[in-house]
Amino acid sequence: MRRMVAMETQEQKPSNGHSEEGGWVNESAHKAWDRTRGAVAELKRAAAIEERVNRNPYGSIAAALGIGYVLGGGIFTPLTSRIVALGLRIGIRLAVLPMLKDEISVLADALGGEGEVGEASKGRRGSKAAKPSSER
Amino acid sequence: MEIAEQIESTVRDVGARVRPQLDDAKRRLTSLNGNITGYIKENPGRCLIGAIAIGFLVGKIARRA
Repeated sequence: MRRMVAMETQEQKPSNGHSEEGGWVNESAHKAWDRTRGAVAELKRAAAIEERVNRNPYGSIAAALGIGYVLGGGIFTPLTSRIVALGLRIGIRLAVLPMLKDEISVLADALGGEGEVGEASKGRRGSKAAKPSSER
Repeated sequence: MEIAEQIESTVRDVGARVRPQLDDAKRRLTSLNGNITGYIKENPGRCLIGAIAIGFLVGKIARRA
């Protein structure tokens, strides 16, 4: 009978060891998960992520995509250079076109004013003949 | 003159035919936008982590290519 009990305890020993190991792993996993959750909650609170997401959902998703892209090592790649070049081109167009428009409108106004002044001076001169533009 | 009237009537017909479809598409897009923003606002963490993961993958692929 004693032998039987001894055999049973010997057989049970490894399973007890496994269960202890399993318990330890489980506990450490729980601890790690709790720590991660705590860190994420802290990060959320620090960066006011929810507020930002509520304010601008698409922008925050785009920012997260960009962060992931940089983390993935895509910053010094041909794709990035293409995207940057396209962005610069569009930006320059958007920035330069209104400036050009303003300049052209100012120029047109100036030319129109000059024309009006020219007409007025012609009227004032009356019968005097105006000089041709090539002689000026 | 007749040609102009014909063109005008054709444009009117096309507009009348296309307008309901455009309105429907507009309504659908508005609803989709509302659903997407609602989901993002309800699950910000999941969406941000997913976006970071997608960006990471795209960065990796761009690096390899």
